[in-house]
Amino acid sequence: MTTTHSYHEVLLAARGISVTRGETVILRDLNLEIRDIKRPGVTQGQVVGLLGPSGIGKTTLFRVLAGLEAPDTGEVLLGPEARPVARGVMGVVAQNYPLFAHRTVLGNLVIAGRRSGQSGAQAEAKARELLVQFGLEEHSRKYPAQLSGGQRQRVAIAQQFMCSEHYLLMDEPFTGLDLIAEENLFRFIRAMAQTDERTTFIIITHDIEAAVAVADTLWLLGRDRDAEGKVIPGARVQAIYNLAERGLAWREDIMSSPDYLRLLGEIHALFPRL
Amino acid sequence: MSDPNPVSPVPPSSSPSPPGAGAAGTRARKIGALDLFLPNRVVSGPVMGITILVQAALVLGLWLAKPVALLPGPQEVLQALARLWSTQGLGPELFTSLRFSLEALAWSTAISLTLSYLTVLPVFRPAVALASKGRFLSLAGFSLVFTLLLSNAHLVKLALLVFAMSVFFVTSMASVVAAIPKEKFDHARTLRMSEWEVAWEVVVLGTLAEAFEILRQNAAIGWMMLTTVEGLARAEGGVGVFLLNQQKHFKLEEVFAIQLLILGVGLFQDYGIGLIRRLCCPHADLTLERRSG
Ligand SMILES: Nc1ncnc2c1ncn2[C@@H]1O[C@H](COP(=O)(O)OP(=O)(O)OP(=O)(O)O)[C@@H](O)[C@H]1O
Ligand SMILES: [Mg+2]
Repeated sequence: MTTTHSYHEVLLAARGISVTRGETVILRDLNLEIRDIKRPGVTQGQVVGLLGPSGIGKTTLFRVLAGLEAPDTGEVLLGPEARPVARGVMGVVAQNYPLFAHRTVLGNLVIAGRRSGQSGAQAEAKARELLVQFGLEEHSRKYPAQLSGGQRQRVAIAQQFMCSEHYLLMDEPFTGLDLIAEENLFRFIRAMAQTDERTTFIIITHDIEAAVAVADTLWLLGRDRDAEGKVIPGARVQAIYNLAERGLAWREDIMSSPDYLRLLGEIHALFPRL
Repeated sequence: MSDPNPVSPVPPSSSPSPPGAGAAGTRARKIGALDLFLPNRVVSGPVMGITILVQAALVLGLWLAKPVALLPGPQEVLQALARLWSTQGLGPELFTSLRFSLEALAWSTAISLTLSYLTVLPVFRPAVALASKGRFLSLAGFSLVFTLLLSNAHLVKLALLVFAMSVFFVTSMASVVAAIPKEKFDHARTLRMSEWEVAWEVVVLGTLAEAFEILRQNAAIGWMMLTTVEGLARAEGGVGVFLLNQQKHFKLEEVFAIQLLILGVGLFQDYGIGLIRRLCCPHADLTLERRSG
């Protein structure tokens, strides 16, 4: 396939990340680099998938990338100017979509805007705009406990968009969603990515099908093996797939395309050895 | 797979089910008397109302039947209450006690909440833990100390009751604060809040509903201790002194009457605090199976 796209500046780089908890080495000298991919005539942010089996250290990496936890070694750098990540710079949606239970949906968004320096009126205007965009206007006065799982997830995403525009890091966003809800989320993520060149979704998951369907770049996390085939503890990047290059960037019928199925097979075969 | 920790990949969604769903809700349209005797049933308001009436009638009936001949029946108690109210000035005494208990409640709430919230600062944790151990100490032992330290009788009384309530309040509230899960803090942090703002949002606002609930329990504890405290520092009177005097003369009807009155005032106060809680924290009970109101 001809290269109709080109790599531009670094959006996010993780260099030499190691995390050890007690005796357990979880991440070992992990390096990642996400670059801005530009295609002529297309305004498009990035959707990057970080895929790995359960227990490999994805949530740990998530916390490091979000700036919630400092790694034992290494650093996470953001943007072409390579500023070290600080919490709050990166939008973060954790596995269980946390929200402030004591605030309404609108209140949850407004407080996020206020705390990142917007005036009350600014924050409210932006919040209302996001609620419309996310199809949540009619729920603005509800409390989080009155929302469905999917609505709750969208509010959690919208809340992050109130204060950090361009990066959104999500841990296992597909957990507990049925097929239709999952496809809605794919569509939603793609639509959000298309609104701005700089928008970057980083989706951490163990769901191979979902990751391949939604991402345009895929990083596989896994552990190395020594010469005798024994596992060396500590996850690293094992493979990188450029799905846009393979013509597998998301579209409605992606899940029935032969290329998609072939790639799935490839990754499924690799997974048990990660 | 070499994963040492194979977990089910799709845990059930932890989102709360909408009202009326779940096992209890599937038969909700046919609430019958039978539901009262099945575990985890949610019954309608009218059914619960009838249940309450029946049980109240049972208690009243039992009381009317006078199983223990020594104890006064309802009529005698009500007559005693009327007598105390009209001829012996129970009203003003009750007012003194009510004002005093509210004053103590306000102080102890302010002190206890401040101390509990201060536990976000590690430096205060040992001191607060120590303060909560005051629960084991006897009030009687403090009355002399406070009398020596404080200038007037009202302050002595106030200090005693505030102390007695605060040690329990602090214990409950500090443990609510300590039990806030890490993910709540992390969530606030991802929204660019400073640690002070995190403390305000998560620790103070996030636990407001629990604070009201604890306040409610402590208001009750306050009434329970009020009589003891008023008995220890009698100068100002109050229902406590009144009660002890009646008790000294074995006036059982009067004792019951005063208890009944205190119960009424307490229940009223309890209801009031519950009402304020529901107004301030409408989110509080949304996730409960048995919702009030
Ligand atoms: N506090 C801890 N002490 C020791 N080991 C830990 C601790 N927390 C996590 N681990 C281990 O680190 C590894 C990675 O955990 P992590 O939560 O990052 O996995 P994950 O890839 O997100 O898994 P999942 O897909 O199941 O969510 C696991 O094997 C886990 O047992
Ligand atoms: Mg995880």
